[in-house]
Amino acid sequence: MAAAAWRRVRAVPMIGAVNTPAIHLQGVTKRFDRKTAVRDLDLEIPRGSIYGLIGPNGAGKTTTLRIILDIIGPDAGSVDVFGSPNVESMRTRIGYLPEERGMYQKMTAADHLAFFGQLKGLKRKEALLRARSGLDAVGLGDRADDKVETFSKGMAQKAQFLGVILHEPDLLVLDEPFSGLDPLNVELFKRLLQERQRAGATILLSTHLIEDAERLCERVCMIAGATKVLDGRVRDIKAAAGRRDIALSFEGNPTFLDAPDLIEDISAHGTYVEVRMLEGADPQALLRRAVDAGALISRFELIEPSLRQIFIEKATEAGLSHEDESEDDEAAA
Amino acid sequence: MNPFTPRVAAVIRREFVLRVKSKWFLLSTLGLPVLIVGLGVLSAFLAVRSATDAGEERRVIGVADPAGLIGDLLVEELLADSLDAVRAEDMEELAIDEARTRLSGSSYDLLMMIPRRDGRRSAEMPGATPDADEGEGDDERTTLLARASVPSVIEGSVRGALQRASVRARLRSIGVQSIDPGSLLQRTSFDVINVTESGEARSQDIYRALSFGIAFFFYFILLIYGQMIVRAILEEKQSDIVEIMVSSLRPWELMLGKIVGVGAVGIAQMAVWALVFALAAVYGLTAGASTLAEAGIDIASIPIPWGTLVLMFFFLVFGYLLYAGMFAGAGATISNEHDAQQVMLPITMLIILPFIATQGVIQSPNAGWGVILSLVPFFSPLVMPARLFATSVPVWQWLLSLVLLGVFVLGAAWVAGRIFRVGILMKGQRANLPQVLRWIRHG
Repeated sequence: MAAAAWRRVRAVPMIGAVNTPAIHLQGVTKRFDRKTAVRDLDLEIPRGSIYGLIGPNGAGKTTTLRIILDIIGPDAGSVDVFGSPNVESMRTRIGYLPEERGMYQKMTAADHLAFFGQLKGLKRKEALLRARSGLDAVGLGDRADDKVETFSKGMAQKAQFLGVILHEPDLLVLDEPFSGLDPLNVELFKRLLQERQRAGATILLSTHLIEDAERLCERVCMIAGATKVLDGRVRDIKAAAGRRDIALSFEGNPTFLDAPDLIEDISAHGTYVEVRMLEGADPQALLRRAVDAGALISRFELIEPSLRQIFIEKATEAGLSHEDESEDDEAAA
Repeated sequence: MNPFTPRVAAVIRREFVLRVKSKWFLLSTLGLPVLIVGLGVLSAFLAVRSATDAGEERRVIGVADPAGLIGDLLVEELLADSLDAVRAEDMEELAIDEARTRLSGSSYDLLMMIPRRDGRRSAEMPGATPDADEGEGDDERTTLLARASVPSVIEGSVRGALQRASVRARLRSIGVQSIDPGSLLQRTSFDVINVTESGEARSQDIYRALSFGIAFFFYFILLIYGQMIVRAILEEKQSDIVEIMVSSLRPWELMLGKIVGVGAVGIAQMAVWALVFALAAVYGLTAGASTLAEAGIDIASIPIPWGTLVLMFFFLVFGYLLYAGMFAGAGATISNEHDAQQVMLPITMLIILPFIATQGVIQSPNAGWGVILSLVPFFSPLVMPARLFATSVPVWQWLLSLVLLGVFVLGAAWVAGRIFRVGILMKGQRANLPQVLRWIRHG
């Protein structure tokens, strides 16, 4: 692509030890009036990862992001970005796309993006150059000198995103990046994000759409009611949740399912049955019994629990109310 | 630490470029000189027109003087002033109400009604204001009835004629006939020249006019640009861009950028005005030098007080920073136009007050309260420049005034910064006073 120059792969400048996390929160608490928005939050976001902050609306995600970006200060706890407690000095290395992502309507797109670039320490000339090639790359090259107010919603979304990555930040922080996007832009955003990650950037995004996080993020932190519920690799989280559900289709005598030493619960689903194994029971043992019983098996599948199921389970376990869940489901649908 | 980091410079640049390129800037920058020149031309035109009108439109003035007090003298004076005047004997016996109804049918355009001597203490002074305790009715007053509105030129002539006639009547009554009333009525004028400490002489009237002009101009600038600050901050909130901004720079940097950017627009505008007026002055004075000389004004004798101008510029800049800080703080507490009017009102009042005070200070620029007001921040940006022009202000006074103002500028910036830091991220409801006070205390 002609415009590849501005997105060229760049080594992450190393400040502090290489293995220091991109973001490190310890015991962060923030209260507004009587309400606690974030309670005693520890967070470690490794460099180069795509990290999802998930949880229902009002869980404290935006507050957490604002604390990381030093827009608001925590009441307690410490924040390190790239190993430095002085987030201020890291500002030019960070790009932030808040949930409210307006633009100055009266500026031209190129001028506006250049302004964002300048705020992030680029020289004006360089910023203008990058703005133009960036607009080119997302198909807005011919609109570079039009005022933002003439842009459609989709075009404005592209421009907003460009404004955040123009200075090639080493850390990208995105608050609900996909909410309100048209499907084409969702794909574009994901592609651009992955490009940034390949260039070595760390990406932290918040979303209340757990499915989005599940598809995109290697690691997630779940928060509900201002408190961390769970955090780690998506793979590990799922493994830890265990693969106890089996989808099973067969022809023949079903008596082998009468196995209280292995099975906790069975539910029929038309063409298949769903079997929940007892904790610690070996699915292979059940398969052997089925074969021995002469059943003709067409499907035997370990079902992964979804992040959503895990989240709801964990939040319930922790005794956290999730009044927002219903709203969440709607949004997900 | 230099607060003008590249990112603050970027904000200033954006604010400046966008505003200077706007239609508003073009219209208001060119508009003011055009307006002033236009008003000058218009008033000159109107003056000439009404004079010609008065000459062209002959109006017949009837003088009804039933008691025969000064009627003949008045007619003489009116005729001497080249107005058509005649004794209106047919109207003499009428009361005013009747005369009014009959006027349209008469041959007079204007009718001067001189009341009878009855009830008058001194009949020789018609037209003079009657003593209040004489208890005369309305119909006893000298009245000019007119069919259409009377041009001010004619009204002036009639007034002058009546005054001369009245003086002549009085002189006649004491037996003096030979004195020209014009010589009695001649005004005596004198010039007031202030002599400054450096021995420089300057005409008081001109400097008073300049004082007022400068106070009005500062008042205007502070008001317009203060409101622009509020709009600039409101724009941040209304375009949902604030959060991106404060993730890139500190709130006070954003505030500083806005204030300096808008202020730079003001300086650019004034530079254009200064240039336009300088050109107009050079052109106008060269062209009109002889006219001015006739009027007794010697251009060369009006020194340009460069020192005062520079000092005044400082007062304007400091005043702007003081009020801009307050407007910025106010702007951070609101998120819509409607609330903007409400929070601006108290600050606007704070600018109007010194402007009103200035008018009094100009009259006696060295009176105690004038001196005090010119030292008090909030007042000093208007009052001190006015005094600087109206009189010679001791160095310690303007120096103290400037220092106090500077201290308040810093104080206002600090308070505004605290309000701004929290307020800029608030949306929806306007913050109330206790809330704002809490922000200031705790930041």
